[in-house]
Amino acid sequence: MTTSLTNIIECKSVTKIVSTSEGQLQILQPISFNVKTGESVAIIGASGSGKSTLLGLLAGLDEVSNGEIYLDSEALHEGDEEERARIRGEKVGFIFQSFMLVQSLTALENIMLPAEIAGLDNPKARAQALLEKVGLSHRATHYPNQLSGGEQQRVAIARAFITEPKILFADEPTGNLDAANSERIETLLFELNKHSDTTLVLVTHDNTLAGHCHRQLRMHAGELTEVQMVDGKLQQVG
Amino acid sequence: MSTVFNLAWRLFRHEARRGELTIILLAITLSVAAVLSLSLFSERLQSALTAQTAEFLAADRVLDSRQPVNDEWIDKAQSMALNTTHVVHTRSMIFANDNLLLGRMRAVTPGYPLKGEVKISDAPFTQGQVTTEQPQPGEVWAESRVLQSLGAKIGDTLEVGDAQFVLTNVITDVPDAGFNVFGGNPMVMISEQDLAKTNIAGPGSRVTYSYYFTGEEGDLDAYYEWLRPQLDSEIHDWDSVKDSASPLGRSVARAERYFLLASLLAIVLAAVSIAVAAQRYSQRHYDPVAIMKTLGAPGHMVRKIYLLQISFITCLGIILGTIAGLVIQQGVVTLIGDTVDISLGTWHWRPVMIATMTGIVCAVLFSLYPLMKLFSVPPLRVLRRDLGATMSSRLVQFLAAGSAIFMLMYAYSQNVMLSAILFVSGIALVIGLLGITYGLIVLGRKLGSGRIGAWQLAWARIRRRAMGNSVQLISFSITIMLLLVVLVMRNDMVKQWRDQLPEGTPNYFLINITQSQLPPLKQHFADMGVETDTFYPVVRGRFVAINGEGLRTEITKEEESVESDQRRGLGREANLTWSLNLQSENRIVEGKWLTEQQGTEEYGVSVENKVAERLGINMGDTLTFNVGSEQIDVKVTSLREVNWQTMQPNFFFVLHPDVMKNYRPTYITSFHLPASRKAEISQLLQPFSSVTLYDVDAQINQLRDIVDQVSLAVEFILVLVLAAGSLVLIAQVQASMDERQEEIAILRTLGAKGRLIRSSVLVEFLIIGVVAGFMAAIANELTLYLLQKQVFDMEGSFHFVYWLVAPMAGATMVGILGAAGCWRLLRLNTSHLLRQMV
Repeated sequence: MTTSLTNIIECKSVTKIVSTSEGQLQILQPISFNVKTGESVAIIGASGSGKSTLLGLLAGLDEVSNGEIYLDSEALHEGDEEERARIRGEKVGFIFQSFMLVQSLTALENIMLPAEIAGLDNPKARAQALLEKVGLSHRATHYPNQLSGGEQQRVAIARAFITEPKILFADEPTGNLDAANSERIETLLFELNKHSDTTLVLVTHDNTLAGHCHRQLRMHAGELTEVQMVDGKLQQVG
Repeated sequence: MSTVFNLAWRLFRHEARRGELTIILLAITLSVAAVLSLSLFSERLQSALTAQTAEFLAADRVLDSRQPVNDEWIDKAQSMALNTTHVVHTRSMIFANDNLLLGRMRAVTPGYPLKGEVKISDAPFTQGQVTTEQPQPGEVWAESRVLQSLGAKIGDTLEVGDAQFVLTNVITDVPDAGFNVFGGNPMVMISEQDLAKTNIAGPGSRVTYSYYFTGEEGDLDAYYEWLRPQLDSEIHDWDSVKDSASPLGRSVARAERYFLLASLLAIVLAAVSIAVAAQRYSQRHYDPVAIMKTLGAPGHMVRKIYLLQISFITCLGIILGTIAGLVIQQGVVTLIGDTVDISLGTWHWRPVMIATMTGIVCAVLFSLYPLMKLFSVPPLRVLRRDLGATMSSRLVQFLAAGSAIFMLMYAYSQNVMLSAILFVSGIALVIGLLGITYGLIVLGRKLGSGRIGAWQLAWARIRRRAMGNSVQLISFSITIMLLLVVLVMRNDMVKQWRDQLPEGTPNYFLINITQSQLPPLKQHFADMGVETDTFYPVVRGRFVAINGEGLRTEITKEEESVESDQRRGLGREANLTWSLNLQSENRIVEGKWLTEQQGTEEYGVSVENKVAERLGINMGDTLTFNVGSEQIDVKVTSLREVNWQTMQPNFFFVLHPDVMKNYRPTYITSFHLPASRKAEISQLLQPFSSVTLYDVDAQINQLRDIVDQVSLAVEFILVLVLAAGSLVLIAQVQASMDERQEEIAILRTLGAKGRLIRSSVLVEFLIIGVVAGFMAAIANELTLYLLQKQVFDMEGSFHFVYWLVAPMAGATMVGILGAAGCWRLLRLNTSHLLRQMV
């Protein structure tokens, strides 16, 4: 566990407003919070509460309407899409509920992909090592549709760690998996996270998963509040 | 760059192996193959046809001149790798056995004919044998009619001009005889070395020097470019089969335009299929693009990866297409090689270049818009699956695709009119279809209400997709329309060709039948069971004045030097006929046809409109003819359009019968005698030795052969285009199946019976097919009308039967293809379908 006090994610009065046919809709109320380096943070909330929207903004996949977001001291809210892509490539890894593997690439090639995009050396050797770690070296040449859901998510986790990102964003990483696979993925995720000293932000509606994180934030109707786990139940802080 | 290349190559390799690229690859392959095989085939066919038709000229090009040309011209031609020879011809009196005949004399030089064959025999009116020889000095060869008229036989002495010759052979065929009923004067052929001693070609005599050229098309054109500035239109006349107004020239020119049209349509079809495939390709890559962007790939990297991938696909498509094109072409040549003499010896690069360019231009231009859309997919799609491309402008798409198609058509055809006609009707179709699809939404709301069944589901789908899938409906319609255009055009064209030479077309002409011979001749022919055509009275008259103003001799000369064969035969004297019945294939374009004379009006004459234009004759003018020592004044009461392509005697001037009643005409008629009865000819004519027989059987057969071959070739082109079109339809249905997959999976999950899904998809495709077919029929009508009028020089016609056929065919084709595609999806189990969903 890290003792660093540096804020790797700073979120200041971030809002998101979208246009709909019935006018402007504010999905996120002004949100401010920080995440320290090496922390693991769970954002929990019901469907439609805005947690995925927040994740998209934090990861630089979407633009804020107002407010500021800094990732490792880089202003995410100022750059254009190209700039955000650079920051994502350098600092961020992703894990998604629906795995999001490129269907026409093999397991190994999927893992290599971020390393190749970032122009790292020996992408293949790195990928093979990670594939080994997630226990799928015998599946290297298989395509995603030849793998089970759990296997696909393990490939996705390996892919997320290949660039040794400072921050890992996970969107419902176990949402599409059965109990056994969920547990395996959870263990793998936290293990790798610990080893590589990565900051983890995960969105989930699974309280058990959220309970494994250092901090829990609850999203409700576009507002974010800090909560904590007490006897397996989430309670408002303070 | 190497990372990008590696990634692109890896994606390409895997996707190709997994069949992801099949549709777009098939589309490019198809476009290249269709364009290549069509243009390769038509190029070869054209050279074969041109070679064959060149026989009618006895060369590829002929320069007729009123005086010998500079030796330098001939030297230049030879230096440009052209073969040349020349013939001197003029009219001359021919004497034998105390008989006298005005004949045409040809003095030939070695090499004649450069194309085609001369046939000779040793008795008149018999089948000839091909010869490569020519009359030796001191010898003369003569047509059957010379022997008939002069009562001469092989071995007799014939006097031509001042020289005496021994008759050694009967000429049965010369390639450049032309169709010339009034050519009248039969031909004798001597060696050019003997020309001087006949003293015919002296100063002041009317002699034509014909210079024949053969060689590569490019060399011939280059030579003409060089020669043209030096030609004097008063003296020289440059001729090639294509610019000849002969039936043959027209047929060949029309066939060439048809090949061009078919190839153009093949390009459009290919373009449509590539557009459809590219759209599908782009949609299937939204996820990988979003993933790559999420993983930090900058925009330029994504663009490079996909542009490279498209390049790989294009290259592979072009290679496969070229191979397929060559195979198809070879197959066609093997199939019809027996009928049409197509040489495989010469390799034509142009079609390969055109096909390759087509592949590249189509792939690049038509995938441009889908690719731009693809590049605009936001990375956020990884979280929000409903996000698609952020860029969308159908107008831009239509404009880009439209101008690309127009550019391709123009670049290929170099024919603005043809391109514009196809393009405008295409645009009209698109606009019409947009209206119809909108109408369908409204209609569908009414029709598709009620309890959910196949009918309601089908309408619900059409309604939901009406705007989005208007592209699909439009591409179905365009495909069906293009197929209709090619099909109907072919039918009309072949029909017109065949009508031109129906079975029983007269193959013999009788001229110089005197009035007293007329009744016994009619009787004799009836007894022999030979039917004759109308007997036209003919009096030869000299056209001397318009409105009392004497005509300059130059006009007469000019009249002889006009291009068409029919006119050339008119000679110094006009053949005047008279009748109150308008001949078939004649049409009054101005004024009124001759009627019974009333009162003391001036007698009327009907003039062929082109000769009237050329000689400056207007309605109401008084024309003066000298017939013998008498003078006839007639007033122009009508102008006639004459179809010179028919095998019947045609006349520039048809006079009122009353004005001619005091003249003793000779008669002209024609009749058909089957080849099996050819031997009866002498028996048929024996009692009428002074009547001249003119045998055009050989020419008619030659013409008919070519028409048959062109028709056959056109049919093969039709089959090729139909095949291409059907494949395009399949590609379209396939592409649309992707979109249906999700819906079918959901319906299945919800427990819908296979039968309901099947019949709803079938009904949907049937409706789309009917609408597409109907729209195609309308657009086809518009296109065809314009094409026939503007490009093919044919009478425009309407084809109402296709208004019924097209919707039915559309429904059948699209329905079957749709049902087949849907059946395939329904065979997969639901969980498989759901897993495939993105």
